[in-house]
Amino acid sequence: MMRGTLTFLAFISVILFPWPLTAVLVLVSSLSVPLLPFAIGIFADTIYYAPQTATLPLATILGALTTFVAFFVRSRLRASSIGE
Amino acid sequence: MKRTYLAKHKTFFSPGNFSWGVCALAFSILIFVLRFFAPNLFWKAFTPVFRASDSFAVKSHSFVSSFGNAEMLSAKNEQLTEENVALANENQMLLQKEGSVSEDTPGISADVVARPPESPYDSLVLAAGSDIGVTLGMEAFDENGVPIGIVSSVLADFSRVTLFSAPGTTTNGWIGNANIPITIFGAGGGAMNAAMSRSADIAVGDTIFVSGPGELPIGRIVRIDGSASSPSVTLRIMPDANLFSTVWVSLRDTGASSFVSATTTQL
Repeated sequence: MMRGTLTFLAFISVILFPWPLTAVLVLVSSLSVPLLPFAIGIFADTIYYAPQTATLPLATILGALTTFVAFFVRSRLRASSIGE
Repeated sequence: MKRTYLAKHKTFFSPGNFSWGVCALAFSILIFVLRFFAPNLFWKAFTPVFRASDSFAVKSHSFVSSFGNAEMLSAKNEQLTEENVALANENQMLLQKEGSVSEDTPGISADVVARPPESPYDSLVLAAGSDIGVTLGMEAFDENGVPIGIVSSVLADFSRVTLFSAPGTTTNGWIGNANIPITIFGAGGGAMNAAMSRSADIAVGDTIFVSGPGELPIGRIVRIDGSASSPSVTLRIMPDANLFSTVWVSLRDTGASSFVSATTTQL
């Protein structure tokens, strides 16, 4: 339920809130939904990215990086005694 | 004896843990495909969402403001009541003039669908496209006639304006009363920069102009940076137009695109 709410909020925030707030929300959510930053990155670039304003789709790239880091952190936590 | 248990390969892609993530990713890819293959349909579908977002922003601002000091609120309420009466009169007057608006406003008027700061990129999406005569290279002006950017891509019903403040955009302009030519660089977040010789007689508050129908002011110098040993200084420029609350713009073919370096691609 919590994960669903976070996912929904993150998508809504892309349209409703300034992008720094979306970034914070996605960062916080990434520990429980690791794929969310990548999904939100694609969604934000789908709506806002203009090749004239930036060479690379930054939101997607940063989202993918965050997803990778989130998966890595989760795998470390699970493998250690902290996650048991 | 305690045994160390490594659950790495079990946890890295555990299906139970990222089903919401997979759903989110699938949704994003679906939206991306829709935009890629049917961009006009995509913007038609999303325009009501952006309208609802604007309306929500206005309502939430009023709601948050209502938690202020009671006395202040009472005074403000009185003031707003008076303003309301004045606005009602003005509204009546404007309604009478409504028929002739298109003749009064030069160029094409277009609603803004998406703008910063929701967008991390300095661009506006407009609900006006080639069907009503929008073409690549048209200059966009805000409600007060301040130039804000250039149309860089056009669909049948929508178009995108790249703002002068977009990173990578360079614009030729002039500064101050002496009309010293400068190159203005987009710095992102609505801001612009320019480099200038230290010996030039430039001060904070000087106006920056770009070409259009005559010289049009686009912003002012808010700060001058540079070390004492450097022969040049960096001018920090803030636009005269409030890009974060622009509701509509007017588009005109002024030939200004030749003064701006911006590529044109699909919306």
